[in-house]
Amino acid sequence: MTAQAIALVRGHLSDRRRSLLAWGAPLGLWSAFIVVIFPSIENALSKAVQSYPTALKEAFGIGELTSVEQYLQAEMLSLIVPLALGYLAVRAVASGLSGAAESGRLDVLLSAPVSRRRLAAASFAATAVELAIVLVLTVLLTLLGGLVSGADLSLGAALAGYANVWPLALLFAGLGIVATGFSLRTSVVTGSVAGVLVTMYVIDLVGRLDPDLSGVRYASAFKYYGNAIEDGIDPLAFCGVTAVAIVLAAVGAWLFERRDLAA
Amino acid sequence: MAVIETDGLTKLYGRARGIEHVTFSVEAAEVFGFLGPNGAGKTTTIRTLLDMLHPTRGSARIFGLDSHRESVAIRARLGNLPGDFGYGRQASGREALRLLARLRGIDGAGRAEALAERFHADLDRPLGQLSRGNRQKVGLILATFHSPELLILDEPTSGLDPLMQEEFLALVAEERERGCTVLLSSHELDEVERVCDRVGIVREGRLIAVERIEDLLGRARRTVTLELADPGDLAELRSLPGVTDLQALDGKVTFRVGGDLDAAIKAIAHHHVLDMELTHPSLEEIFLGYYGGGE
Repeated sequence: MTAQAIALVRGHLSDRRRSLLAWGAPLGLWSAFIVVIFPSIENALSKAVQSYPTALKEAFGIGELTSVEQYLQAEMLSLIVPLALGYLAVRAVASGLSGAAESGRLDVLLSAPVSRRRLAAASFAATAVELAIVLVLTVLLTLLGGLVSGADLSLGAALAGYANVWPLALLFAGLGIVATGFSLRTSVVTGSVAGVLVTMYVIDLVGRLDPDLSGVRYASAFKYYGNAIEDGIDPLAFCGVTAVAIVLAAVGAWLFERRDLAA
Repeated sequence: MAVIETDGLTKLYGRARGIEHVTFSVEAAEVFGFLGPNGAGKTTTIRTLLDMLHPTRGSARIFGLDSHRESVAIRARLGNLPGDFGYGRQASGREALRLLARLRGIDGAGRAEALAERFHADLDRPLGQLSRGNRQKVGLILATFHSPELLILDEPTSGLDPLMQEEFLALVAEERERGCTVLLSSHELDEVERVCDRVGIVREGRLIAVERIEDLLGRARRTVTLELADPGDLAELRSLPGVTDLQALDGKVTFRVGGDLDAAIKAIAHHHVLDMELTHPSLEEIFLGYYGGGE
């Protein structure tokens, strides 16, 4: 990484410092709350889950809810955290490119000897770091909740569960850069990619609910997301999704370099 | 070698007009004014030079380098103040400065502190809390702190109070003394008249004239106001080629004259002259002459 890229990443993170807390703290506190209440509702929860339809349990990745890890998966990691982090990723990458274009910052940065490709790459790298920081903050607060409540939360499982969100969210950062190649309006970039995020989630859900439609899941990044808090990280899926995110970012950077930056 | 050289530079936005066949050059240590009303194509030209817009046709070279293919190398040697400068709301000028210095590989902030003191600029407050004029001062510092070889300034004095405008004009003159080339876009005609060596007049996306300021002023029609003890017969003065709009009232004579003044002075010399005033036209009048009469 060159000095320029490091400077751009640091600048991006400095601008987004409020966002790190604004996303990390609520997600972490919510997650911690789930862990804290688990011991007191464990028995009632198990009985309730047994009465759920099998298809519903499969759709939301709920097996048994006899451990705090299973409860975290059902309440946080199957829906809220991946959708929230996916959206955060688009917002972060858009703030460094289309947001910068809207505020005039892009014109100032591109007055310096930095290529657009490097600027896009730095925005992607900074988003990757931002996502990691938010996830670390979230998992730390979650583990703290486990310590306070006495819930038997496995450190390794929690780390795997939250770390597994990172490549999935990063993929939407890559899509965000692609979208920036077509529009420099933040609302268009975040809106279109958030739409893809939700659509992919729904496609995966439909594929899981109806075995006849399971093939459609290949069109969704959520197919490769899995249940890392219980099954551990699938290295192939983790690296594959990360690689796709990087390829998307590279394509986006190429498009961004070729487009006009109108006043 | 010219510092900036464009050849038939054209940028079209679909059906909308951008710029067409813009050809000009700016020599080293020259202050070149780019004049035109809003929407004439000044900013489009500048953004094309900076590779923010890709030309539809034609080419531009800066420091002898292609403005598109070698844009990064070019930008290492220039400073740019974009029109309507902005940098977001949260960051302070100092944070922006620190990042730009790192991107340029500069240790420290160059002459930023001295410039901040000179322009009374606040580098520590978030830019979102500054008035437009105070933001513009920060923009000027970001464009000049590294003592570039070429300064590109798009409407640089917009929002500045008159005192700061004076300070800015002094800075441009000092930059030229230092050997810096300046391309200054403006519709503030007075400031262009005061600091520019040459001026390009842009109209509806086309560069309609490039002139030295003194040539423009020299060729333009000056207004002569005389106070004569004996107005007498002004027929000789009235008959001179280039003399127009002659009016005489109570010993006060006013006329406009273009080109060589010698014949008019000699004709006046036959009279007893109590007072005389020669007024050069403002660049605005000259500009309106180009802009208004060119269909």
